[in-house]
Amino acid sequence: MLSISPVRGYSPGKASTTVTPALPMAAIAFLVLAVHGPLLLMQLPAASEGGSTQIFLAQHYAQSWFNPWNEKWFAGFSQTGYPPLTQQWVGLASHLMSLTAAYMLVQLCVVILLAIGTFRFARLWVDERSAGYAAIGSIFLGSLSVLVYQAGDLPATASTALAINGVVYLYGWARKARFLSLLKGLLLLVAAATADPVTAFFGTALFALPVIVAAWMDHGDRDVDADRPSPIAVLIRAVLMLAIAGVVAVVVLAPFWPSFFTQHRLAIANGSRDNFLLNFSSAVNYWLIPMGAVVLALPYIFLSGLAERRLRPLFFAFYIALIFGLGGTTPVARIVLGRFYESFSLDRFTFWATLLALPILGELASRLIERYSIKASIGLGVAAVLTFAMPLAYMAAHPANTNPFRTDPVIGFLNRDNHDRFRYLTLGFGPQFAEVGAGANASTVDGDPSAGRTLPEVAAFGVTHFDAARNYGSDGMEALRAVLKHASQYGLKFIFVRDRYYEPLLAFAGWRQVESYENGNVTLWSKEDVPPARKIEPTTVIPYLERMLWGIVPVLCTLLAFGLILVTPERRRTAETIPFPTAETTPRMQEAR
Amino acid sequence: MKLGAIVMIVILLLLMGAGTVQQATKHANTNTPEAALRSFLDQVRAKHWDEAYSMTQPGAGVDKDAFVKDLGGNNGSLKTISSLQNENTKILRQSSNDADIRAELQWSTAVGALHETRDFKMVNDDGEWRVAWPAAPKSQAVAKALPTTYLRWDVVQRGSAKDEWGVQNVEPPRMRIISMNAIENQGDVVILGEVVNEDTVPGFVAINAILLDKDGNSIAEESSFDKISHTLLPKEISPFRIDFPNRKLAEIKSVRISPTNILVPAAADPVVGVMNQRIEKDQDGKSILRGDLVVQGGQTVNIPHVLATFYDRTGKVIWVSDGYVDRALLPQQAVPFTVNLRDDLAGQVQNYRITVNYYNSNRS
Repeated sequence: MLSISPVRGYSPGKASTTVTPALPMAAIAFLVLAVHGPLLLMQLPAASEGGSTQIFLAQHYAQSWFNPWNEKWFAGFSQTGYPPLTQQWVGLASHLMSLTAAYMLVQLCVVILLAIGTFRFARLWVDERSAGYAAIGSIFLGSLSVLVYQAGDLPATASTALAINGVVYLYGWARKARFLSLLKGLLLLVAAATADPVTAFFGTALFALPVIVAAWMDHGDRDVDADRPSPIAVLIRAVLMLAIAGVVAVVVLAPFWPSFFTQHRLAIANGSRDNFLLNFSSAVNYWLIPMGAVVLALPYIFLSGLAERRLRPLFFAFYIALIFGLGGTTPVARIVLGRFYESFSLDRFTFWATLLALPILGELASRLIERYSIKASIGLGVAAVLTFAMPLAYMAAHPANTNPFRTDPVIGFLNRDNHDRFRYLTLGFGPQFAEVGAGANASTVDGDPSAGRTLPEVAAFGVTHFDAARNYGSDGMEALRAVLKHASQYGLKFIFVRDRYYEPLLAFAGWRQVESYENGNVTLWSKEDVPPARKIEPTTVIPYLERMLWGIVPVLCTLLAFGLILVTPERRRTAETIPFPTAETTPRMQEAR
Repeated sequence: MKLGAIVMIVILLLLMGAGTVQQATKHANTNTPEAALRSFLDQVRAKHWDEAYSMTQPGAGVDKDAFVKDLGGNNGSLKTISSLQNENTKILRQSSNDADIRAELQWSTAVGALHETRDFKMVNDDGEWRVAWPAAPKSQAVAKALPTTYLRWDVVQRGSAKDEWGVQNVEPPRMRIISMNAIENQGDVVILGEVVNEDTVPGFVAINAILLDKDGNSIAEESSFDKISHTLLPKEISPFRIDFPNRKLAEIKSVRISPTNILVPAAADPVVGVMNQRIEKDQDGKSILRGDLVVQGGQTVNIPHVLATFYDRTGKVIWVSDGYVDRALLPQQAVPFTVNLRDDLAGQVQNYRITVNYYNSNRS
């Protein structure tokens, strides 16, 4: 059995007594390609909950980069209600391939970046080989699999990947005051914020705090720093970097904040906020599956994370993320998040918890393989593959889109015979709602609620996604009634229904079924007295400078960061050194022949 | 090391325990009649019928099937596509053995929010409060065959435009607005009236109204939405009501009414009869129009919608009110309905007319 003794907490620059070859980064990148490449080539995230929304938003950037006003949703809305980075990258890449393929390419790059970031982050805590195992672990994380293939949350994964890389430079800047580290870290952290500011805020806090504490703890380590910076200097430099990144992000995302802080969002049921002890299916979907085999290693993480003084900040960050990830099982998340709690999906905390646990798990893997060799390798490999495969299997058994259908007939109808002179609405299309938006020339009065635009008629009820109005309860249905009442003003003539729940309301309100598609799975309802849609002028004017910053800075930050990282690579040991002379306490007697 | 890990695990378990106990006590408290009713309604909200039924008084002759149908609906009624959203409870009377509680229930339904006032009787059963659910009366309906002799209009040729509904290439049926009245009510302007189909074929009608100010500019546009019966058979009359929120009559010079009508296929079956209608006060002292609906033919009506037109002594329409019935209408079986009437108008009402609109899931 493996004894649970203090792990060999790694101090950067400190010599290790183990001579083991490190895993090359190229091999890790190839492993990402081998594992995620085929799944992304199959375009699995395209059917996810958020994938098609990202593709829809990216389409607008591909066509109109500096004009955030998109007429296809909400009868016209500003895309500044949605952080831009990932959509801009998808939009850029779509000039070389299809939008869906561009999305998959960007997602693949994000997973590679996450594996690299995990390696570099783990390197701050454990030795190079363990960090390599941690990076491999990041590829097989169940929580990553859920976010990529089930939730289609490209912004959250991208933001986390950028933030984790940026935090590593925070350590270098705080400890060594290297200007290049400051610059790279700032660029990466700002880019993370422009991908998903909420994720960047919480993610950076969870990853940066243990790193700052570690930098502060390492200040007196002679082996690490010859110049030994004072703890105050370490702290000031760290705070300075985070503050600059925060200020730049606030300025660049200036058009985003008004909608973020002022919109009243209707809460929608989300299993991640359930009490997992009382709701087993939520526990499986939002905790057990994302955690996967990490659950089995929890005792080791607790014992090992607390045993070594230097690993404790990392352990506490993991512990906090773990508690938040438990959703409504504990009262902590509700108390801390306050009014934002009901509009928050807490599964990303489980994602961060698993990422934060990886350095310790990498160390565990290293020990197991060192001790049990091939048996441990096989066992760990099986655990990793099962952890990765479980969410995919669960997704296949419980698809987000229970009854996928072809949207071509719907798009075809809207694009022919001048039907795009009118606006349309879909009800019950689920993840395929945005697919229609991307393909049709016509405009809809609906849109993804996170985009932040509300029609004046429904402002009193809060931000609602009409396509899923029933899920918001009576407020959602009243909001739908309110917009249907004003169908004439919006030119709302066509309603595509895939959920018969909505049919009574349409029938009583004067719509009549005129067509059915997909063997009656989708029906088209029309109203006679609706005039063609009038163009709605932008409701808010975004100043020229803000539009330029919005269009240029996010992509520029990532380009500059990657350019700097490639042009000025950090020196990296390729093998551990053996201390010389060897640390023997007693003289060794050797017989001379 | 081990002590630290144990402490952290204990803290985690305590937090989990706190969250779970907090939630469990919130949902399973039967110490007081009000708490027991809330727990019961929580189970209804979650559509946990078995759990809800287990909270009723045992041995009270409550048929579980009838209990589930009462709360969850059946026959495609509005209740089947409703869920309990909110409740407000008020104790009317309480003793150590029983209590009467009035609950204002808000249901989220497929046609919007519906409000229901229901009185619950709670009984103390060995220290545990339970809901005394009234036993449903047994149906005495006997199966029999009914001939259908009602008229039906089919459109033989729909024209070339396959994507359009109704018949665009023939003259629409003649519809006429026979009365119209603009009033101000609680800060809103309301346009009331009646429309008749004067033709010999059925038609679909919708009414839009635009308010014009003194300069002839449009200041608001609204439609009759569901406050009208859209499909009118020959000679059939429907009331309509168009609400303009937050408007004053003083700022309006004129109203432009634009009815849209079109020839559509329709059938006179099912015919819904209105019986025993009368104006009276409800338990809160508010004026309501009450009555029973009966389907005359052999069809089931899934979701009935009642429109009531109130007239004063001069025959002028003074109010139009509507309400959805959450029970399905089975052939020949009476189902009660209520429609609100403004208290300030109750004294002026000389006459009223009830129109029943409906939705059937097998055809719209």
